[in-house]
Amino acid sequence: MANLNVKTGEEKWYKKAIGIFTRSKTPIASLIILYIAMVVIFASFSPYYLTIGNFRSIFNNFAVLGILSAGITIVMIGGGFDLSIGSTMGLTGILCAVIMLKFSFIPVGIVMVIAVIIGCFLGLINGLIIAKIGINPIITTLGTLAIFRGIAFFWADLNVRIYSDFWDSIGRSFIGGIIPYTTVYILVIFIILALVLKFTKFGRNLYTIGGNEYLAKLAGIKVERIKIASYVISGLFCGLAAIVLTSQLGSGRPEYGSGKELEVLTVVVLGGVTVGGGKGNYLGTFIALIIIGSIANGLVLLDVPVFLRMVIKGGLLVLAISIDALRNRRRLQLY
Amino acid sequence: MAENQETPVRKKEKKFFLSNTITLFIVLIVMLVFFSLTSESFLSTYNLVSMLSNLSFYGIVAAVLTMVLISGEIDFSIGGNIGLTSIIAAILIESGVNGWLVILLCLLLGAAIGIFNGFLVTVIGVNSIIATVGTMSVWRGLAYTFSDGQSIMAMTPVIDFLGRGKVLNIPFPIILFIIIFAVCYVVMNHSKWGRKIYAIGVNPMASFLSGINVKQVKFLTFLFSGIAAALGGLILASLSGVGMPQHGEGLELTIISAILLGGTALGGGRGQILGTLVGVLIISVLYNGLTMLNVYYYYVQIAQGVVLVAVVATYEVRQKRLQE
Repeated sequence: MANLNVKTGEEKWYKKAIGIFTRSKTPIASLIILYIAMVVIFASFSPYYLTIGNFRSIFNNFAVLGILSAGITIVMIGGGFDLSIGSTMGLTGILCAVIMLKFSFIPVGIVMVIAVIIGCFLGLINGLIIAKIGINPIITTLGTLAIFRGIAFFWADLNVRIYSDFWDSIGRSFIGGIIPYTTVYILVIFIILALVLKFTKFGRNLYTIGGNEYLAKLAGIKVERIKIASYVISGLFCGLAAIVLTSQLGSGRPEYGSGKELEVLTVVVLGGVTVGGGKGNYLGTFIALIIIGSIANGLVLLDVPVFLRMVIKGGLLVLAISIDALRNRRRLQLY
Repeated sequence: MAENQETPVRKKEKKFFLSNTITLFIVLIVMLVFFSLTSESFLSTYNLVSMLSNLSFYGIVAAVLTMVLISGEIDFSIGGNIGLTSIIAAILIESGVNGWLVILLCLLLGAAIGIFNGFLVTVIGVNSIIATVGTMSVWRGLAYTFSDGQSIMAMTPVIDFLGRGKVLNIPFPIILFIIIFAVCYVVMNHSKWGRKIYAIGVNPMASFLSGINVKQVKFLTFLFSGIAAALGGLILASLSGVGMPQHGEGLELTIISAILLGGTALGGGRGQILGTLVGVLIISVLYNGLTMLNVYYYYVQIAQGVVLVAVVATYEVRQKRLQE
């Protein structure tokens, strides 16, 4: 009787604060230990690892990855799946670049709004097909992955260099020369989304749908609407990611972002978001993001061949998902 | 005995499948007529034969992958597997290994890949989508690493015969394709093992309770899909004469589209090998026809995505109506 875990309402303030980000349990402690171990390993192999310049580039380089994983976390908590994020980002990016090239009189701010709208629209297409017709999300987004990428190649023969100083500065400038603006964006996005998940009806309903869609429907939750909304949110962040990506690379190319879905999945799964839905939080995703970003950086510092990095990235995803499976294993897995 | 007692639901489902196959055949014929009217060289023997030998290598993979899908799992790593096998075959040939031994070793490699996937899915209990998306990149990355991004010549008499040889004037890959389809058809429709796969796809829990070793069956389907992909990789290396790390890139989308087109459900339990055959034919006629019409590759890619989503949407809508 002594150890009944009753919430008394007298929790310490910092526990409450952490609670906002840990709405559902993820392996945060083990992730932090993993990160520390990694830092020690990389630091002992490369003298450049523990420098401010290196950390600056680590944090600036995972910006796109972070924004994308913010969106897909929402989708996956709701039990969905989105393979089309890389293509959505690529298509949005090249459209922005083309708009800036052909209609240079349009102010940059409006182009950014257009980017977000395009992203939302592409997400809406996914959401409508998945929720209204009821096709499996994997198949839908596998199809739209090909469609969006194919459309992006319409502009393959253009050399879409971006000539806007403001646009270029979005993803490449630093506060005081140290803290990248992109890290600030990611922190703001993650905090807002964590608050949304914790305090809004939408957030609670999303977890319920991910946990058991049928029961959620019986409980009167508008499942279709929330599912569509989750894909629109994912599309929105693809649009934002496209802005940052084109800003960092200074151009729009149709092949940008291909294969990104693999990395994003690795981050999200490592962060504790389960594939079936209903579990996951933003603190886990954030730490996993830092870990994956550091690994990508460490592989460069250790001079690992490019092709071998692909193997390691795939292997990491397999490892992450295996750990996840072993942790959530049914006590008696019979079939 | 149970096979003779047809419940109304099963009868309805059979009818549903039959009408689907007929619809697909009509689609195929319409496409054939359309392409032969618009492109003069489409109906030439040369084009048709080359189309058939090109489709055979992924048709083989599609036939076996249908089993994996019916059992309720999926294997995305086939494309990477094809790339890796073609590279390993080319490297072995370059170092002067006998052609038969190359075939044996590559099939063993495919089996090892299948075993690894099967281990992840059945023993560790990983979701097969994520697991095979991960291993896909591992195999592809290994293919790039071993070949250093280069393509390697793969020419030796035995391997040449595999993709370009002819028996009674019929290209050998087409013969292989027909044989493997026939075997898969017999297994899925007339064997105990095939029935088990269907049962598992419909309800794994109930199958386990009625004494089916679910894990073993699933493991074997992954093993076979690994071997089939390796065979596909060998044929592709032989058809093109080189082992290339890019071989089979994006092929998983094509193959899975073909299977779903044929009426196999992604959740498992529903599907037919014959449906896959028609699906493979439709996809390759679409590809070949669009190429003959000089359509840009990215339009083909868009067409493929649209076909995939549209087809699955119609199935889903019809299935809903059937249940009502």
